[in-house]
Amino acid sequence: MTLDPYADGPPGFLARTSPLAKLAAPLPAMIVLVVARDLVTPLVFLALAYLLIIVGRRMSGRVAALLFLGIPIGAVIMGLALGLWVDAGLVDDTPTVLRIGAWTLHAGAIEAGLATGARLAAILALGLIAGLTTTGPDLVRASVQQLRVPYRIGYAALAAIRFVPRFGYELELIRQAHRVRGAHGGRGPVAAVARWSGYVVPLLAGAIRHAERVALAMDARAFGAHPDRTERHLLPWRRRDTVFVVAFWAVSAVVLAALFPWGL
Amino acid sequence: MTDDPAPLLHLRGVAITHDGADAAAPASASFDVRPGEVVLLLGPSGSGKSTLALATNGLIPQAVPARLEGTVAVRGLSTRETPVATLARHVGMVFQDPDAQLVTGSVFDEVAFGPENLRMPGADVLARTEQALRRVGLWDRRTENPDRLSGGGKQRLAIACALAMGSELLVLDEPTANLDPAGIEAVYEALALVATEGRSILLVEHNLDAAVEMADRVVVLDAEGRTIADGGVDEVLRERADELDALGVWLPVSTMAALALRRAGWDLPRLPLTPAELTVSLEAAEAPMPYSVSAEEEDATSAVVPPNAGSFAPHAESSRLNTEQSAREDHPAVEVRGLTLRRGRRTVLHDVDLTIGAGEFVAVVGANGAGKTTLVQAVAGVLTPPRGTVRVDGADPATIALRDLSRRIGFVFQNPEHQFIAHTVFDELAHGLRGRGLDPDEIRARTADMLTRFGLEAKADVHPFLLSGGQKRRLSVGTALIAGAPVLALDEPTFGQDRARADDLLRLLRDLNDAGTTVIVVTHDMQLVAEYAERTVVVHDGRIRADAATRDVFADEALLHEAGLRRPPLQQALRGVIRHPQLAGITALRDLAGGRG
Repeated sequence: MTLDPYADGPPGFLARTSPLAKLAAPLPAMIVLVVARDLVTPLVFLALAYLLIIVGRRMSGRVAALLFLGIPIGAVIMGLALGLWVDAGLVDDTPTVLRIGAWTLHAGAIEAGLATGARLAAILALGLIAGLTTTGPDLVRASVQQLRVPYRIGYAALAAIRFVPRFGYELELIRQAHRVRGAHGGRGPVAAVARWSGYVVPLLAGAIRHAERVALAMDARAFGAHPDRTERHLLPWRRRDTVFVVAFWAVSAVVLAALFPWGL
Repeated sequence: MTDDPAPLLHLRGVAITHDGADAAAPASASFDVRPGEVVLLLGPSGSGKSTLALATNGLIPQAVPARLEGTVAVRGLSTRETPVATLARHVGMVFQDPDAQLVTGSVFDEVAFGPENLRMPGADVLARTEQALRRVGLWDRRTENPDRLSGGGKQRLAIACALAMGSELLVLDEPTANLDPAGIEAVYEALALVATEGRSILLVEHNLDAAVEMADRVVVLDAEGRTIADGGVDEVLRERADELDALGVWLPVSTMAALALRRAGWDLPRLPLTPAELTVSLEAAEAPMPYSVSAEEEDATSAVVPPNAGSFAPHAESSRLNTEQSAREDHPAVEVRGLTLRRGRRTVLHDVDLTIGAGEFVAVVGANGAGKTTLVQAVAGVLTPPRGTVRVDGADPATIALRDLSRRIGFVFQNPEHQFIAHTVFDELAHGLRGRGLDPDEIRARTADMLTRFGLEAKADVHPFLLSGGQKRRLSVGTALIAGAPVLALDEPTFGQDRARADDLLRLLRDLNDAGTTVIVVTHDMQLVAEYAERTVVVHDGRIRADAATRDVFADEALLHEAGLRRPPLQQALRGVIRHPQLAGITALRDLAGGRG
């Protein structure tokens, strides 16, 4: 996953699709997945999302690692862990997998846990269709151009993303400085809270000053002067965006109809 | 002063009071900037120069809460009513902090941002952006994230942004205060090009050595911010230099040197403003009969400097250093042996050896990213060095408890605010003494003593963040010293500060050094190094490239260039002087007799 919100988007047909289309298309499926309880529905949508990402975006090592290692391993671990929490009363008619003393682990519990893991993985993967193929500025541009989000808010948000790495760096300096001065040493949650609260004042002071300076620099370059501004990169809603959304919704509807009632 | 019918920028009786401030600064500034002029705005610290800069495009009073009296007009438009966006077409602004001016994700988009805000057609935006980027030499880097540019690169980008707005007047507020020597050079090359195009420039700058050559006119404010001089460079800087010097206005180093030499009896009829002019003046002048460089160095210099003083002779200071070398090895304050440090996958320091003797004043210099800060941080235990590679006063920062280390070495961070941890100035200082089983009365006495020493008695109960910039800096030095550390390390202590404040701090450091404290300073400021450090360590690409007496380091031009450094202006001038060999080796103003010590 790329962390630079400004980096050029990777090539592929998804990069040429409107960011808003990529967000709207999987939305119905994501909503159903929040309530679904079975294992098959999330797996079908997981496969669908993977298929789109693989076809629609040039594969890179990091993306491959995320798709084929990070998400599956994370989902399985989370699924197994959640299985331990499932109320045994709901699944005591399924075969026993493990028995320790009075505690019994039923197959149904594992299945329920894995289903939850799969649901989270599927929702994440559907979100990644847009997430892995959209740059920050494009999302802002599309929101401003199609959704009529005020550009002052959109571009100010974009400028604010710039603050994040700077604050990370500043926080690191403050931590070093406080450590050297022997501020709030010690272990445990109480010491940690004291330590972090000591970072707040210098971090905020620096942040406010920085934000004021950036705001002045933007004002000095006429930001916010007119109700709109020149858009060099037009992101019009094309027919293929409509096709993409409608097709995705149609496929979602077919899958959901076939698998109803999704384990409810 | 002729009142041009339409001066580009017109100020009359301008007084600005920030909300919450007691007095106006500036109190009454008046001057004009006409088309094509380069105007230098000077004044002592606190005279309101930066505030005035913010008033030239209406940010004051429209965006910054402050009361503006008098007239500020741009092309006849009052800045009180005309929107900043309209004024922005006439006045482009470049601020001091290169990082606080970036909005977008690429160099190209950054420059296009302004014209886009003005709703220019796309084709015009592209054309203007390309032209501005080519002008400052960044066209080839247009696709990069601006974060990847150096400080000098970011300031050139800010200049391009102002150019793309179509501004006739460029206002720059200390644009090079945060830059290394190579960055300063690059910014002034770009500015000189802008000036030749016929645009006007209003420059607030302390680094006059770089700025004075391109200036047409100089406007000087006094301590309250009243215009006391407005005229040509010759008329103001050459003829009224003594007066400006007394006012606390920073002058070009060559001018300061000439003033010092005049006081020593030299007859220099025309005051020089640049190193080249100083060289010429000195070639033309007769040395006053009983002239000595400085009492301690006279014998040594005349003894060791051969008749052709252009060669790099060993100097008084280096011979003194040689005798100090043995002392250094007998009583090292800091010893570094085979220090290699990695940050992530990158090796920042390669097998570094360094010994610093008790009582030395050492400067650590190098380009950005050379590893100089890392080196000093490892010595001070800010970064934990590998075991056995660093010894400070006999202890290893890698294994010793931080509390005990703070009694051996104090570290002062670039931004003093980062290291404040208490809610009052008193507690800030006392923190270094508490938890060591000391008697509360003794803690109180030692803290009070430190408050007095740093002029902070009246501020004992104030929150450290509410101090002025200079007070914050003094407090941070105090906290580093209170535990009794005999070694003080400072990271860029003058970064982003004006000269007056920087001078205060350096005088403080010299007093501490005279009293026996070992001082290690990481810095970009070459004249500072020349004035204060006996010894200079040049770090380049994570290795120590040179470690010698300061004047020997500055004598080696190839070395300086390779390490991204520049020779300080005074030495540049004096090294060219053939007629007076006794001056050739001098790097510090205070070594010129009559110079202020």
